[in-house]
Amino acid sequence: MIPQLVTYRQRRSDGRWLRLYIPVVPVVLVLSPLLLLGVLAGLVACLVTGVNPVGALRGLGQFVWALPGTRFEIEDGRTAVLVSIR
Amino acid sequence: MNEQRRQVLQMLADGKLAADEAERLIDALDRERPVSTPKGTTRPKYLRVVAVDTSGDSGPSRVNIRIPLQLLRAGVRLASLIPPEALVKINKALERSGTPIDLTELKPQNIGEFIEQLGEVDIDVDDADSRVQVFCE
Repeated sequence: MIPQLVTYRQRRSDGRWLRLYIPVVPVVLVLSPLLLLGVLAGLVACLVTGVNPVGALRGLGQFVWALPGTRFEIEDGRTAVLVSIR
Repeated sequence: MNEQRRQVLQMLADGKLAADEAERLIDALDRERPVSTPKGTTRPKYLRVVAVDTSGDSGPSRVNIRIPLQLLRAGVRLASLIPPEALVKINKALERSGTPIDLTELKPQNIGEFIEQLGEVDIDVDDADSRVQVFCE
């Protein structure tokens, strides 16, 4: 399943929380022209370095599809960072 | 006791079946019964790493990471795309830094098998001020 929502939370040293909810699909749609350029640049890089571009695209797709469920929580004293992909 | 087994035992009690015939029938019924999976044997989906350190002055430090095992598999597949020339360069750099690991010997299928077996892993390191847990859920 494609990631749908990325949550970023950060507790600052003053104890206040910064919360960011990033809906993946709308952001990808907005950035699609840039992504297309990125994919083209990646294909050129694959051809230059001798990596199979089809395999790279498939591998990247599998990687992105497997991202939902990932969660990182790091807390040190009064500061904390949480990244969650759903 | 299911209905068919009860009927066989009833026929045995009525004298319509001999004991060895009843035994064969019951064996046949056992073979036909689908093998039920025991509860609680679902495959783990996530690798969890939890580390807590309370030795600091500014309060406890805590790391809690949950990674889907599918993501590890996808990472292994991506890593298998690295061209052999690049692996040779990485090996040389590792050797220079004092870590002589031959990455060309790490086969994707072996790492895949390793990830499959990660479900059985349960590491629990306890110290006076810190604790590290690695497990699958």
